Amino acid sequence: MRARDFGLASCHTCGLVVKLPAVGHVHCPRCASPVHSRKVNSLSTSWALLLAAMIAYVPANLFPVMSVVSFGKRQSDTILSGVIYLFVHGDWPLALIVFVASVLVPLLKMIALTYLLVTVQRKSYLRHQQRTRLYRIVELVGRWSMVDIFVVALLAALVNIGNLATIEPGAGAIAFTTVVVLTMLAAANFDPRLIWDHQGEK
Amino acid sequence: MQCQPRNSPATTLVACHECDSLYRFEPLVPGATARCGCCGAVLLRYPRGGLTRAIALYTTALLLLLLANAFPFLTLEISGRQEVTTILGASIALYRQGMGELAVVVLITTVLGPALLISSSLYVTFSVHMRRYLPFTRTLLSWISDLAPWVMLDVFMLGVLVAFVKLGNMATMHVGLSLYAFVGLILVSAAASAAFDPHMLWQQLDYRKKS
Repeated sequence: MRARDFGLASCHTCGLVVKLPAVGHVHCPRCASPVHSRKVNSLSTSWALLLAAMIAYVPANLFPVMSVVSFGKRQSDTILSGVIYLFVHGDWPLALIVFVASVLVPLLKMIALTYLLVTVQRKSYLRHQQRTRLYRIVELVGRWSMVDIFVVALLAALVNIGNLATIEPGAGAIAFTTVVVLTMLAAANFDPRLIWDHQGEK
Repeated sequence: MQCQPRNSPATTLVACHECDSLYRFEPLVPGATARCGCCGAVLLRYPRGGLTRAIALYTTALLLLLLANAFPFLTLEISGRQEVTTILGASIALYRQGMGELAVVVLITTVLGPALLISSSLYVTFSVHMRRYLPFTRTLLSWISDLAPWVMLDVFMLGVLVAFVKLGNMATMHVGLSLYAFVGLILVSAAASAAFDPHMLWQQLDYRKKS
């Protein structure tokens, strides 16, 4: 029994179940926000944001996220070389966490969102529960990718000791933040109810 | 597919926001969580301790947030020279280095977002608890769920740990008073958001309006 079958919809903001009119749209009587059965233009908005994130992912990995300038010498680090540095010099549990947060998560997140969008568009009627769970995980872990940006910001704030050593954030940091923000927005615009909209049809 | 609700009988209608399954609910008992029988999503929570607990925790969180931003966060020492930073300092450093866009994102996720989320949650719970229908209660309550994912205090803490390890080899690091307050803030705000369910507050606001 699904809300849509009864012409009902749950308000996205406050959760009140509202009767939808046959034509036009309705505002929630409790919180006054517009009520829709499904998020408006969910698929195209998600696709647009996801594709933009994929494009930004290239410079995010190619350009340095930060450079250490020490005695006139400059050493630049990309996301990946920063993780490798942690593996070599730091302790490996932390390196593993950073590897997961800043390399695995963004990549798997984009693959997962693509999979979700494609299966919804092909009206797949398989594995609804697993796909919903996948969506929930994508929504939950996405923010952890920001860790590398915070590290760069903290290092830039702390290491600024004249010509002894300075840390400069690089262009890669902007591209990487763009990837994280865009994938978070893409996940927020995806409507998991679409996964369940094709269960009867074959 | 037929889905049976895990907690049956009836007064309010609830539709699962992840799979659109429709349920009828009797008011929950404190501490109870209703999950969708179809996809497992949380439908409604009735946090234990009620609104008083939420108010107490959000007040504590607000105080810790002020402490966390008022004192030095980390101090770095290389050959007698010291460099001190605050949480805000991370955004300022990015801005000074010509990374304005990045500074804004860091500012929102570590300073502005938490401040807005904690103060508006406190305001809303207080408004509902005191049965005073304070202005902007509804507007603020509708923002809270959208703002929550952009508050990244826990992620920032992981960043602090990584920065510690990266700089530990070449300099001495001192932990400031703010860092302790910050750790407390993460724990308290996690407890506070567990004591806070927006949908429950909407229902309570609804009763107030009708009675």
